[in-house]
Amino acid sequence: MDGLKRVVITGIGVYSALGFTPGELFDNLAANKSAVVRGGEEESFLPTAPAPRKPELFRTLPRTLRRAMAPSACFTAMAGLAAMRDSGLTQNELAARKAGCAVGSTMGSVSALRDGYALVLSGQSDRLSPMHFFKSASHTTAFNLARTLGLNGAIYSPCSACASGLQSMGLCTALIAAGQETVMFCGGADETGPEVSGSFSLMYAHAPVEDDPACSSRPFSAHRKGLVCGEGAAVFCMEEYGHAVRRGAKIYGEIVGYSSNSGGNGLSQSDAPAIARCMADTCASAGIAPADIDYISAHATSTLQGDAAEAAAIREVFGANVPVSSLKGHLGHTLGASGPLEIAAVFEMARHGVLIPTHNLVDVDPACAGIDHVTAPREKQIRYFFKNSFAFGGINASLICKLNV
Amino acid sequence: MNLTRDEIIEAVNSALVNEMELDPADLAPEKTFFDDLGLDSLDMVDLMIGLQRKFGISLRENEEIKQVRTLGDVYDFFEKNQAMLTAQAEAAKAAAAKAAREDAGK
Repeated sequence: MDGLKRVVITGIGVYSALGFTPGELFDNLAANKSAVVRGGEEESFLPTAPAPRKPELFRTLPRTLRRAMAPSACFTAMAGLAAMRDSGLTQNELAARKAGCAVGSTMGSVSALRDGYALVLSGQSDRLSPMHFFKSASHTTAFNLARTLGLNGAIYSPCSACASGLQSMGLCTALIAAGQETVMFCGGADETGPEVSGSFSLMYAHAPVEDDPACSSRPFSAHRKGLVCGEGAAVFCMEEYGHAVRRGAKIYGEIVGYSSNSGGNGLSQSDAPAIARCMADTCASAGIAPADIDYISAHATSTLQGDAAEAAAIREVFGANVPVSSLKGHLGHTLGASGPLEIAAVFEMARHGVLIPTHNLVDVDPACAGIDHVTAPREKQIRYFFKNSFAFGGINASLICKLNV
Repeated sequence: MNLTRDEIIEAVNSALVNEMELDPADLAPEKTFFDDLGLDSLDMVDLMIGLQRKFGISLRENEEIKQVRTLGDVYDFFEKNQAMLTAQAEAAKAAAAKAAREDAGK
C-alpha cells in the first residue's frame, strides 16, 4: 500500500456462542466445544448455533440506548464496548478524533422484522412501536454501535450478507489508509432464526437434523450436507499506525492486504476462479507472495459446492503449502459476523502459537483435497494470516493481517 | 373502560415503571414527562401504544392527548374521557365487524 497510511488493530471485542471475550472463545475452540444444538419446533428441529441472549448483560446498557436494539444490535454493542475498553480509548478521546464505525449484517434483525410483520399481518398495526423500525433497519447494528460508544464520525453499514463483516473491515482499512479517518470501529453482527435456517434448508444448503447436532457442521468433510446458521458479533478498533504508536496503544496486527470482487453472474453458488482471483489480488495488494502466508482462515461453511470451490481456489493460489482450517464446524456460520469473529479467534491462535483445526473433519472430501487441512491442533507461529468471506451474489472478500508489527 | 381514578393512576404508573423503567418513587402528578421524568417523544408514543392496549381504546386520532405535559395531565385525560374513548372503541369494533360480514357475503 505505497503512499498510504498504515492501518492497525488496537482493540477487539466479541459476543459469541462460544465466548464473550476472545480468550474465552479460543479456550472453547481449543477444547473442541461446539455451539451447535438441536433447534426447536420453530426451526423444524434443524441444528442451529444461537448465541446466548443475556438480558442481565444487555440491561447494563441504559434503556434509552437499549430500546432501539434487537439482539443483533445488543451483540454489537457488547462487542463494541469491549473493543473500546480494550483499545484504551475513552469516549471523549473518540469524540475528539471524530471516530466512526462500519458494521454490517445480513438483515438488520430478523427477530424484529418478524415481530413487526406478525403484528401487521394479524391486523394489529396499531400495536407497532416506533422502536420496531429502529430495531429492524438494515443499519441497526451500525448506528446502535455509534450511539453506544458516543461516536460522532461517519457511520457505514455494508450490507453484503456473509461478507458484511469483512467488507466493513476492508472499508475502514481503505478510509484510514487514505488518510480520511484516524480511528474506526469495524466488524459484523447477525442473528439467526427460523426464516434464516429455513431459507438455506429450502435451497438444500442446510445441514439436516442429526442424532448428535454437534456433528452437523463439517467443513470440507466428505460427509458434509450443509451449513448450520449461527449468530454473534465481533468489533475491532482500527486506527492509523502513527496515531496508535504515539498514544502507546497495544497493536494486535496490521491490515496489509484487502481485496473484494464478484463472480459476475452467480446468485447463490461460489465461483472458484473468482475466489482465486480475489485471493491472488489480496496477496498482490499486500506486496507478499502466497507462500508468505502462515495460515488461512477459510470461509468454508460446510456446503457441498462452496467448500469445494474455496478449496479449488486455495489449491490454485497457495497449493498445499499453507495450513487451512474453518471455524464454522465449531461456531456454525455466524453470517455477517463470521469474518470478524473468526479473525478475533485467529489473533488468539497467534498469541498461543497453535492453529485450531476444522471441527468434525475426519474424512476430507476428495473435491476439497490438495490443500493443507488442519485436522488436529497444530503448533505454528503466525506472521501473516489470510481470511476469506464469501456471500450470496457471488461476493468474495479477502484480507491479510500481519502480526508482530 | 370503566375505571376509578386510582385504577387509572395504577395502570399509567405501572406502564412507566415496567416499560420505561422509571423509579416508582419519582412518579408524582406534577412531574413533567420531558424535563422531570427524562422521557422523549418516542417514549411518549410507546407509552400511549401500551395504554391503548391496556385500556382497549384508540388514541390515534385524539388531539387532546398530544397536549399532555405532566403525569397528572394523563390521569385527568383518561378519567375525563374514558366514557367517550370506550364508546369510540365499541363503535370501531362494530364497524369492523359489519365490514367483515359484508366482505364475507360478497
